[in-house]
Amino acid sequence: MSKIWLFIDRRLNLSPLLREMADHRIPDHANPLKKASAFMYCFGGISFLILLLQLLTGMFLMLYYVPSPDHAYASVSYIKNEVAFGALTQNLHRVGASAAVVMVFLHMLRVYFTKSYKNPRELNWIAGVLLLLVVLGFGFTGYLLPWDQKAYWATTVGVNIIETVPWLGGFIADMLRGGDEVGALTLTRFFVIHVMFLPALLLCLLAAHFFMVRRQGISHPL
Amino acid sequence: MRPNTSPSHERPAGAVPPSGHADTRAPFYPNHLFVEGVVALLVFALLVILACFWQVPPEEMADPSDSAYVPRPEWYFLFYFQLLKYFEGPLILVGTFVLPLLIFAALFLLPFIDRSEETRPSKRPWAMGLGLAGLLAVAGLTVVSVVQDAEHRMDLPPITEEHLAAGEDLFARFCVLCHSMNGKGGFMAPDLSQIGARVNRVYIERVILTPQIVSQTTIMSQIPLSDDERHDVSAYLARKKK
Ligand code: HEM
Repeated sequence: MSKIWLFIDRRLNLSPLLREMADHRIPDHANPLKKASAFMYCFGGISFLILLLQLLTGMFLMLYYVPSPDHAYASVSYIKNEVAFGALTQNLHRVGASAAVVMVFLHMLRVYFTKSYKNPRELNWIAGVLLLLVVLGFGFTGYLLPWDQKAYWATTVGVNIIETVPWLGGFIADMLRGGDEVGALTLTRFFVIHVMFLPALLLCLLAAHFFMVRRQGISHPL
Repeated sequence: MRPNTSPSHERPAGAVPPSGHADTRAPFYPNHLFVEGVVALLVFALLVILACFWQVPPEEMADPSDSAYVPRPEWYFLFYFQLLKYFEGPLILVGTFVLPLLIFAALFLLPFIDRSEETRPSKRPWAMGLGLAGLLAVAGLTVVSVVQDAEHRMDLPPITEEHLAAGEDLFARFCVLCHSMNGKGGFMAPDLSQIGARVNRVYIERVILTPQIVSQTTIMSQIPLSDDERHDVSAYLARKKK
């Protein structure tokens, strides 16, 4: 193990990078072993963990899921009834979505009530609000994918709500739907947004978010 | 290459802080990483348990022609749907546009609006008040929405053979003049032989109460049924699946 590591490190000089990442100390007010109230400072990390799990379960669901009105419903029931661990994976993905929303919301409350958004962390707060929107976007687009009654009609209502927005609303609604009604195009669009656009955006924002956290350190206690 | 301009609050592990006291903060590696690993496993276990116990009943496949279906959004959007219920007609714009715009503008600009250095809760009454109000609003609206949904469901007595038989009689008396059932009955209104496959019981109740929710110009009139009789009819129709 150490020989392989040395081989790589001699060539790529990774250890300074690693040290840069791992060499920092955890202030007591954010360390749950030292102070019980520090559990609040875990919410961001737990959100991240859940999002990783969503990524993983999502990838496995994608092995079988077919984003077309004719096959989506059947492919989801196939996952739930036939595929090994399919029901668990599918349910984990559904439950994980709720958990992610809850944890991100709690994380935001922690940042808000400790006023960690103040100078110099303004930019990271803004990255955070964008992250919140992305997470909600995942929830909205993912809800359509099973193509059951609830999915179809909730999405219809959701897009109709967007449509009422002056100026841009009609345009955005048309772009999302790809027509006058929720249909085949809507499903492929929501699918691609859910599995490509939003994950790409999420990863970029998370990189920025974590870079700023490490650069600035955790905010000081009240 | 290691930059030599590390921020002052990030003293390298083990270094003695300028005050001269020994640094008590735990190092990230390995101590904190271990804590994080334990928390991660706990969270994962919790999620698997949740996924095993919290299941949702299966739904029928999407049917774009069935505009009578009453959809509910994912629970974390419920507060917003509840909020929209309080804005009717043109006022809906307040709910769909004005409020979201204001709230997200305020969220994005928060660090620039609230610029004081003060972080103690007692010294920031406005921020604390607004934060709590927002939190209570979201939680309150969610609860109201869940309770109202549950009431819709609870009002209805369970479906028994007696209710079904009574419902069938009532249907024959009041409804077949216009609606047809299994090939018999009127032709002025839609056939209801499979209505239960398309809409749920709550919706049937609401149509009997207010036929206009189907369309403003419907010819269906208010049917003189008592509450119990209406429940019988809705039970009977909800079972008409094929
Ligand atoms: C995808 C969702 C998000 C993830 C995975 C995430 C992750 C994290 C993590 C791991 C930290 C380190 C401190 C902690 O865990 O409490 C952090 C800090 C921070 N987050 Fe987030 N976050 C997310 C969303 C948000 C949101 C919605 C906001 C606010 C609108 C936000 C604002 C901040 C700020 C200002 C900090 C610095 C706090 C400090 O230094 O005390 N984040 N985030």
